[in-house]
Amino acid sequence: MRKSRKVWAAAAGLTGIALVATGCSSGGASSSQTSGGKVTLKVQTFNEFGYADLFTEYMKDHPEVTIISDKAAKSDDARASVKNAIATNTVTDDIVAADVDWMPELLASSSFFADVASDSNKGRWPDWKSAQATDSSGKLIGLGTDSGPQGVCYRKDLFAKAGLPTDRAAVAQLLGGSSATWDQYFATGQKFMAANTGAAWFDSLGALAQVANNQQAEPFESKSDDKITVADSGSSAQKIFTMLTSHTDQSAHLAQWTDDWTKAFAGDKFATVMCPAWMTQIISGDAPDQTNWDIADVLPGGASNWGGSFLLVPAGGAHATEAKALADWLTDPAQAAKVFVKFGNFPSQVAAVKDQSVTSKTDKYFNNAPTGEIFSNRFSAVSKQPYRGSHYFDINDQFGKALTRVDVDKTDTPDASWQKFLDAVKQLS
Amino acid sequence: MVTTTELPAQPRDQRPVRRIGMRQRLGRWDVKLSPYLFISPFFILFAVTGLFPLAYTAVVSIHKWNLLTGQGPLVGLQNYIDVLHQPFFWKAMRNTVSIFALSTIPQVILALVIAAVLNANLRARTFWRMGVLVPYVVAPVAVALIFGQIFSDQSGMVNAILAKVGIDPIGWHSNVLASHLAIATMVNYRWTGYTTLVILAAMQAIPSDLFEAAIIDGASRVRQFFSVTIPMIRPTLIFVIITSTIGGLQIFDEPTMFDQQNSATTAGGADGQFVTVTMYLYQLGWGSQNNLGRSAAVAWLLFLVILLISLVNFWFTQRIASDSGAKRRARKVRS
Repeated sequence: MRKSRKVWAAAAGLTGIALVATGCSSGGASSSQTSGGKVTLKVQTFNEFGYADLFTEYMKDHPEVTIISDKAAKSDDARASVKNAIATNTVTDDIVAADVDWMPELLASSSFFADVASDSNKGRWPDWKSAQATDSSGKLIGLGTDSGPQGVCYRKDLFAKAGLPTDRAAVAQLLGGSSATWDQYFATGQKFMAANTGAAWFDSLGALAQVANNQQAEPFESKSDDKITVADSGSSAQKIFTMLTSHTDQSAHLAQWTDDWTKAFAGDKFATVMCPAWMTQIISGDAPDQTNWDIADVLPGGASNWGGSFLLVPAGGAHATEAKALADWLTDPAQAAKVFVKFGNFPSQVAAVKDQSVTSKTDKYFNNAPTGEIFSNRFSAVSKQPYRGSHYFDINDQFGKALTRVDVDKTDTPDASWQKFLDAVKQLS
Repeated sequence: MVTTTELPAQPRDQRPVRRIGMRQRLGRWDVKLSPYLFISPFFILFAVTGLFPLAYTAVVSIHKWNLLTGQGPLVGLQNYIDVLHQPFFWKAMRNTVSIFALSTIPQVILALVIAAVLNANLRARTFWRMGVLVPYVVAPVAVALIFGQIFSDQSGMVNAILAKVGIDPIGWHSNVLASHLAIATMVNYRWTGYTTLVILAAMQAIPSDLFEAAIIDGASRVRQFFSVTIPMIRPTLIFVIITSTIGGLQIFDEPTMFDQQNSATTAGGADGQFVTVTMYLYQLGWGSQNNLGRSAAVAWLLFLVILLISLVNFWFTQRIASDSGAKRRARKVRS
């Protein structure tokens, strides 16, 4: 779900769409060739998986293997390329990386991918992570790479200005500590707004919705029969919608991933933002000179995860066995910890999260906050995974737009916007 | 032909004659077919990359067809009916026509004026002429990124300038017409220079004696422009208008990038304020629904609309020029 990078990298991306649409995928037919016992494996990733060093290391240990890195300019290109491979039933890459957002789509074609479960990776991930890559028959098609446990990032200076505590632990307590609720979050927001600092409490309702919906067991659809339940009156989504839209006054009305939003991190536009592990890189990248961002080990409404990726192995590849071995090695806790230390992609492997090199990591940008330890705590607290049925992403998308209409565009009243949401959902089923 | 009918009686003696006949025939084929052979690469390529996809899209559009799982049962025109019943399709159609009108019409008029100016006796002519082409070199998505900053709702340049003048900020992403204007600005920025050069080339091909004759007749500059220049460049104008119609109705990059929050889903605004038909097509076929059948139906509907508008434009441009009667006058002057 690293959308912001998606947005910027989209510059190159749209040309990619055109290429995919015309079926000109770069690799031609299956890329892996065997010559004299040598195996060439092509690995498609996007953004930054931090694998370059690991590839070198693996090739050193396995002289018979040559790894070609096939990095897509942005995740949308990678997604289009995977879908194109499935649609034409051709294998262009021996290993493909996939964002959790595309997993339901890929799970619908799970026969295209190899079963990657093995003794070596049994129990490597928490159940909620494995569940995202397991199809209805129990086949595991993806090996988890990173994850996005969430804390709350906040602006120390703005908190001080409003007379709120600024210390990390105190802020966590202020928001309710381990039993933090949305009510408490908004009540604190009210206090903050009353201090008239000129800043808002949070960036936009859409950002909060990502957290709140992920805290539900069945946000939009029923787990038992995949029916859309979001339109039923009194559904959890409706309650969340009502709760959020009644706090529009605390919003900075900045839609996530827009230019306005990215610029706002440097200015004094809002005091808190929901912070998955990967968001820390976005904040420090967008506002390198802003020294007041800090991070608290707390999340309103209970721990939840946002985003994360997987490695998948197409079953039809010429070297599926070798590819599986490589993917298994790349997602091994030891490797995941190395990637986190160097690139900051927070691991999803239980052992890696507890690894000393992970928990001891601090982030200079966030006033030397122990980000490793904080996200490790946030990760361990995640207990449930929302059910994502066949329409999850369409509904989630529509839900976000419904909030944007009220919060950012101000084109609709909450009621009118909810009605439009229901109409859009009706067209899905 | 004559040889074959005359010689069935003596089969053996035929041989040499037949050989000549074959050669003659080959020679004749050579003369008749070679030209077609020489131009065939284009048509073969066109058949493979243009005609075949067109026909195949039609086939896809009458099936239930999932991008990933492939062909489903034949459903006839059901996809078309479904699409036509979607209010979102009509919203996309409205936006497309509106953005097209806001971009193409001012663009062609502006290009005509600039071309007329560039056609005059300027110092450093080549510099000015190449100058108008510079925006065309910028990639459309880069243009979208730049203008995305300029038209940002809170931190954008345009709203900052408006605030200085005392005008309330405009919701460039929330207001339908404002968003169309912003997108049309991007399109015009990029394409006006190109259109100008095409028109300029046509203007330079007009024989100067026509203008001399017009001057002797006492025609003013404006009169020369409308009575000589425009009628003489009519074929080029038709070309420009039709190509920009096709381009304008297929607009995709700019509006997609303009919704920075939802560019991945080609949403075109939280309320579909600036979603276009091509974006809707992409949503259906490559979004999470993977409904390629319905997407193909939209593609065909768009094709028909483009055909229709192009025909209207063609008819319209022909009328404009011939109505003025200037063409006839221009011809008279020439003879």
